[in-house]
Amino acid sequence: MSTGIARDIVTLKLRAASEEMCMTLQRTSRSLYVKETADFCCAIADTDGRFVAYPRNIGVSGFVGLNVKPAVEAAAESGPLRPGDVIITNDPYSTQGLATHLPDIQMIRPYFDGEEIVAYGWCFIHCSDIGGRVPSSISPTNDSLYSEGLQIPPVRIIREGSIDRDIERLVLRNTRTPEANRGDFHAMFAALETGSRRTAEILERYGRSTLVDTHGAVIEETAERARDALRVLADGTYRFVDFLDHDGVSSLPVRISVTITLRDGAMDIDFTGTDPQVDSAFNVASQGTVHAWLTTRVLALVGTLDPEVHLNAGLIRDVTVNAPWGSLVNAERPAAVGVRHASSSRVNDTLSGALIQAAEQIVPAASSGLVVPVVLSEQRPGGNVVQVLEPMVGGMGARYGADGVDGRDSGISNLSNNPVETVEAELSTTILRYALRPNSGGPGRWRGGTGLELVFEVHAKASLLTRGLERRVFRPWGYAGGRPGAQSELVINEGTEHEQRFAAPDVVPVSSGDVVTLRTAGAGGYGHPFTRDPRAVLTDVDSGLVSTSAAYRDYGVVIVEGDIDQEATRSLRAQQDQMPGTGFDLGEESERWQAVFPIDVYDEFVLALMERATAERSALRGRVLSDVVAQLPEQFPSVGAPAETITRARSTFQDAVARLRPSEARL
Amino acid sequence: MGGTFTDFVVVTQGAGGEVDTRRHKTASTPHDPSEAVEHGLRDLAADGVDLTDVDAVVHGTTIGLNAIIQRSGARVSFVTSLGYRDLLGIARARLPESFNLHASAGVPLVPRERVLEVDARLSSDGTLLRHPSGAQLDELAQEVLATAPEAVALSLVEGFTAPEVERSLAAALEARLPDIPVVSAAGTWPEIREYERSLIAVLEAHIKPLMAQYYVRLRTRLENVGLSAPVLISASNGGALSLDYATQHPLETVLSGPASGVTAAALTIPRANVLTFDMGGTSSDMSVVVDRSPVLTTRTMLGQLPLMMPVVDVSAIGSGGGSMITAGGTKDATTVQVGPRSAGAVPGPVCYGQGGRTPTITDSYLSTGVLDPAGFLGGAMQLDYAAADAALADTARASGLAHATFGDDREAAGLAAEYVLDVATVQMATSLRTILAERGHEPTDFTLVPFGGAGPTHAALLADELGIDEVLVPASAATFCALGAAVAPLRRDLAYSIRRDLDDRVVTRAATVLTELVGEGIDWLRTSGGDPDRARLRLSADMRYQGQAYELTVDLSEHDVGNQEQLLPGLSALREAFHAEHERVHGFRDSSADIELGTLRLAVIHAATEARITAEVAEPGTRTPLPSAHRSVRTRGRWEEAPVYRSSALLGSAAVNGPAVIDVSDSTVLLPAGWSCSAGKDGTLRLTKENRA
Repeated sequence: MSTGIARDIVTLKLRAASEEMCMTLQRTSRSLYVKETADFCCAIADTDGRFVAYPRNIGVSGFVGLNVKPAVEAAAESGPLRPGDVIITNDPYSTQGLATHLPDIQMIRPYFDGEEIVAYGWCFIHCSDIGGRVPSSISPTNDSLYSEGLQIPPVRIIREGSIDRDIERLVLRNTRTPEANRGDFHAMFAALETGSRRTAEILERYGRSTLVDTHGAVIEETAERARDALRVLADGTYRFVDFLDHDGVSSLPVRISVTITLRDGAMDIDFTGTDPQVDSAFNVASQGTVHAWLTTRVLALVGTLDPEVHLNAGLIRDVTVNAPWGSLVNAERPAAVGVRHASSSRVNDTLSGALIQAAEQIVPAASSGLVVPVVLSEQRPGGNVVQVLEPMVGGMGARYGADGVDGRDSGISNLSNNPVETVEAELSTTILRYALRPNSGGPGRWRGGTGLELVFEVHAKASLLTRGLERRVFRPWGYAGGRPGAQSELVINEGTEHEQRFAAPDVVPVSSGDVVTLRTAGAGGYGHPFTRDPRAVLTDVDSGLVSTSAAYRDYGVVIVEGDIDQEATRSLRAQQDQMPGTGFDLGEESERWQAVFPIDVYDEFVLALMERATAERSALRGRVLSDVVAQLPEQFPSVGAPAETITRARSTFQDAVARLRPSEARL
Repeated sequence: MGGTFTDFVVVTQGAGGEVDTRRHKTASTPHDPSEAVEHGLRDLAADGVDLTDVDAVVHGTTIGLNAIIQRSGARVSFVTSLGYRDLLGIARARLPESFNLHASAGVPLVPRERVLEVDARLSSDGTLLRHPSGAQLDELAQEVLATAPEAVALSLVEGFTAPEVERSLAAALEARLPDIPVVSAAGTWPEIREYERSLIAVLEAHIKPLMAQYYVRLRTRLENVGLSAPVLISASNGGALSLDYATQHPLETVLSGPASGVTAAALTIPRANVLTFDMGGTSSDMSVVVDRSPVLTTRTMLGQLPLMMPVVDVSAIGSGGGSMITAGGTKDATTVQVGPRSAGAVPGPVCYGQGGRTPTITDSYLSTGVLDPAGFLGGAMQLDYAAADAALADTARASGLAHATFGDDREAAGLAAEYVLDVATVQMATSLRTILAERGHEPTDFTLVPFGGAGPTHAALLADELGIDEVLVPASAATFCALGAAVAPLRRDLAYSIRRDLDDRVVTRAATVLTELVGEGIDWLRTSGGDPDRARLRLSADMRYQGQAYELTVDLSEHDVGNQEQLLPGLSALREAFHAEHERVHGFRDSSADIELGTLRLAVIHAATEARITAEVAEPGTRTPLPSAHRSVRTRGRWEEAPVYRSSALLGSAAVNGPAVIDVSDSTVLLPAGWSCSAGKDGTLRLTKENRA
C-alpha cells in the first residue's frame, strides 16, 4: 500500500486515537468539570503544533484552532525535549493563547520516532482549583492574573518518563484541591500515554512518512473544504458593533467591534474599535493568534455549511485576525481572563452581525447570547451547600426560512440542564416554573427563539449568583425587518409589595419564602413580522408563545375566538405602509446609547485610548464615559431621555474625544 | 419480524433431551404484519410441524419502534404539573450538534398546544403540595378533550416520590374521558428525572392503542391456524413478556430486535465474554456479553429521544453492506469515503441490478471475489459483478487510486474494493474500540460473534484489526435474532428511586422498597405463567459520590426467590460495592466521600428454556475437506486462487487455512490469510488466528 493510499486509514486512526485519549482521561479524572460538563479535550498535533486529529463528539470542540508550538518552544528553552517528557502549563500569556484561563491545565507530550519528534499529544482539563483569590479560582471581579491563581509557564513535569516531584509538589502546594488535581494529572498522563501507544502503532504499520504526509494532507483537505464552504459569503468588507451590558466592575457597557473582509472564501477579522481591556476577568488573551474564543462563530458557520468537515487546524488556515494589543480581545499580561467566555458570547453575536451582511440567507439574527449558571449557596449548619439550579440560556436567532430554536442555544457551551428533581433533592428550594418565556422571541417573518423563565421559592437563607445574566440592557438584534428579542430580567417577589428588581446583580441575598424569577433574553427575529404567515402566528398563539395582543401589535394578526380574522388582519397589516425589510434592528436601548456615543466618534475615542499606556486606558475611559452618563437619566439607556439631553451629552462626549485627540494629531 | 422478512425458528426437544432447531423465512406483509405470521405458520404446518403440540410461541416485532420513529402512533396529549408546560419541549436542553447555526431541536412528540397543566405537585420527600379538586379535574378533562387526543400521558414533577398519587390521578382523569387511556409516568416507571420519566409515559401512550390492536389481530391469526399455546413477546431487556403484560406495557418491547441477537449470543455461545457484531444492510451494531449476561444500559436513544428503561446495550458502529462509497478529497489529497449514506434495500448495491449507481460495501465483497455472483442468498439472487466492477473502477479513477496501477476494470475495481473494505474495517474497529474504552473493556478479552447478513463476511477482518483471535460464526447467522427470541427467558426489570445519602436509615428504607419490588416482580411472574421457584432475582443500584452528576449502576447480588431476604447487602457492603465499581470504571475510590443511593433496580429472570442450545465448538478432525470450487480472491494487494468450501464439508474435518471462502446457508464467511477455521457438528464455525496461544 503506497503512502498516499494509507492516508484515509491513518486519518481515521488518528481521530480515533484522540477520542480514545478523551475516554481515558474522562474515566480516570477526578474533576467535576471533566465528568459533568465535559470541560476537557485531547488531540494530536503535527510538528508545527497544529491539531491534525481532534475528537468530534466528546470534549470541548471549540479549541481545534489552538496551537501547541509556542508552549513546546518555551519548554525547550531549558533543553531539547526527550522521549517520555511531558510539558505542563496553564499560562495564557507564555503559551500564546493555548491556555485560555488558569484553571485549564494543559499537558503536551512529544511523540518520537527514534530520535525525531513526529507529533505531539495534547490534553487539557478544567481542574477544580488552581489557587488565587476565590475557591475554584474564577471570579468576574478578579482584577489581575495574579488573583486568578498559580501561573505555570511551560515546564516539564515528566522527564523521560519520571515525574518531577519538585514541580508536582510546587503546583499542588498552590491549589485548594491537591488530591483532585493530582488525580487529574495522572488522568492526563494516562491519556497522553494512550495517544503515544496509538501513534507508535501507526508508525510501526504505516511508517513515518505516511504519518507526516497524512498530517499535511488532512489539514490541507479540511482547509480547502472550509474555504469552499465560506465561498458562499459575498466578497466585501462588513462592520458591526455590539455591547456587553457592563464590564463586571462598573455599570459601563463594553463595545466590541468587528470588521470582516471576505475575499474568495478567505476571511480577515479586524477587532479595531473594540474597547480596551477591562479591570475584571472578561478579557481574552488571544496573543495575536487566530484564537478559539474569537472564532467560534466562524467554526460553527463552516460546520453549518459543511456538516461532514473534519475537525482540525485546517478549519482556520484561511482566517486571519487582527485584535489590537491591549484590547478586550487581546489583553496584555497581567489582565485577568477567568471569565473570557462571557466576552466570547458577545464576540459571537458581533461576528454574526458582520457575517449576516455577507450571507443574509445563511447567518441567523442574534441568538440570546448568554449562559447563566444560576447558583444558590445555601447556609447550613455544616457549611454552605453550593449548587447550580439550572444553566440558563436563551434561544437561537431566526434566519431566512426558519424560526430560531426556543430556549436552547449551543453557541458557547452546549450544556445539558439539571433535572428539577435532582436539584430539589439537594437544595431547600421548590422550582415553581421552568418553561419557555412567552412573548420574548424577537418578532419577525421568522420568529427569534424564546428565552427561558425560571421561578423558584427558596426555603432557607442563601446567596443567589446569576453571573452572566447579560442582555438586560442591550437586546439580541433582529435583521431584515425582524425585531430584537426581549431583555433578560431578574426579579425577587414579583408582583408583591416586596418586589425587587436588579440592575447589575452579582450576589443577591435571599431568605426563606422569597420567590426568585429569572427570565433570559429572547433571540432576534428575521424579516418583517407583518409578513409572517398568519397561520404561523396563530400556532404561536395556540401554543401560548405569543399572546393575542402581541399577535395584534407585533404581527398585525387579529385573532378572535381562537381564529384569524382575515379581513381585520388584512386591513391592519395594510396600515403599516413602511415595512423596513433590510438591516439591523438593535432595539431602542442600543439606538439611544449610540445616539449619545455615535459609532464614528467612539472609534476616535477608542483610538485615542489605545494611544495611551495600557495601564492608563481603563481609568481614562471610565472618567470620560461617566462624565457623559452623569448627564443622562439614571436608568439610561434602558429608559429614554429628552432629545436635548441626548444632544448635550453627545456634545460632551465629542468634546472630550476632541480633547483626547487634538485635530492636528488625527491626520 | 423485520421489514423484509419474517423469520421463524422452531425449537424441538426430543424425548432424550436432544434439541433440534428448524428455521423458516417468509416475506413480511407490511400492511398487516400478522398476516406473514399466519403464512409462515401454515408453511410450517404443511411441512410437518404440529401446531397443536407447541408449548409456547415467542413473538418479536418492530411495529412499536417504527411507530415511534415515524411518529405514526396515537395522537397524545400530555398533562403535567403547573409551570412545566415545556417539560418535553426544553428536554435536556442540549442541541444535537454544537457546530451548527441551523441546528434544530426536533419536533416534540407532543406540541405545546396539546400540553396541559394541572395544579398538582409533590415535594422531593413525597409530601403532597398541591392537588386538584374534583371540579378542577372536571375542568381539566374538558381541556384535555378539546385537544382531541387518542391517548393521554400524565406526569407530575416529583411524581416518582409517591407513584400512587399520580396513578390515582390518572385513574380519576381516565374516568372522566370517554375510552381514552391515560398513562401515568410514575405509575409506569418511578425513577427520578422528570423529563425522561415523562417521555416514558408519552411514548407508552403513543404506541399503546396501536400495539393493543395488533396483538388482538395476532391472537386471531394464531387461533386461525389452531395455535393455542401461551404467547410471549420479546422485550428490549433481552427477555420475554407475557402477551397480556406486553399489551399494557408495549414500550418495554420496542428494542427487542437487536436485544434478541445478544440474548442468543449469551445463551448459546459457550464463551463467557462475547462481542456481538450484527452487520446488516444499512449499519452495523455491536454489543457485549460479560460473564454470559448481556450488558444493559439505561441511556439509550430512540432517535433523539432518551429511553431510561434498561435495554440491552447495543451501539451502532457504522457501515452496513449497503453503505455507499464516494471518492472525495482535493486534487493533492484523495480520499475514499465509506458511508454514512446507504443505498438501502432499494435501489440497493450496484450488483443487485435494481438501478443502484453508487458502489457499496456489498459490491466490494463481490469485486474482491469474496461473494459468489451466483450463490448470493443461497442462489436466490444473481449478482451483476461486471456492473459492480465498473462502478468501483470509476471510484478508483475518481479518487486517484487507479493511478497506482494500470489495467482493466477488474484490476482497478479490485484495488478500490480492497481499499474500501480496509477503510470500512478501520472505521468499525475504531468506533468499536472507542465504545469499549468508554465502558472500560479491552477488545482482546472477547470472542467475536457475527450475525446478520454481512456479519460473518466481515468478521475476521474486523477481529484482525482489533487484535481479537477467535470468531465463532453461529449456524444460521441470519436468523440468529429469531433464535434468541425463542430461547429468551421471562424477564422483567423494575426500578424505584430513593435518592438519599446512604446510611442505616436509607438501608432500612431500601429494604422496604425492595420487598415491594420483589412482591410486584413475583406477582408478575406468576401472572405471566412463570414458576417463582425457577426464577432468579438480581439486584443492582445506582449510586454516586455526593456531588457527582452521574451515577454508576452497581451490581449487588443475585439469589433464588427463596433467598430474597439475602438480596440487600448491609451498609458497609453496599458502600464497598460502590467504591469497588467506581474504582473499576473510573480508576479511583474516595473512601472519605459520602455516597448517595439513587435508584434500586431489580431484575426478575426466569430460568431459560430447558432446551439448552449451545453452539458446538468441536476439536478439528483429521480428514482433509474438499473445496467445492476455487475463486480468485483479492487480499493483501494481490489476487489469490482461494478454495471455497461449503460449511457442511468442514464437519469433522481438519481445520482449513485462509485465504479461503466458506459458504454457509445464508451468508459467506471470508477466512483471511493467517486464520484457520473448523466446524462444529451443528454448523458453528470457529475461526482462529494462527499463533493464537
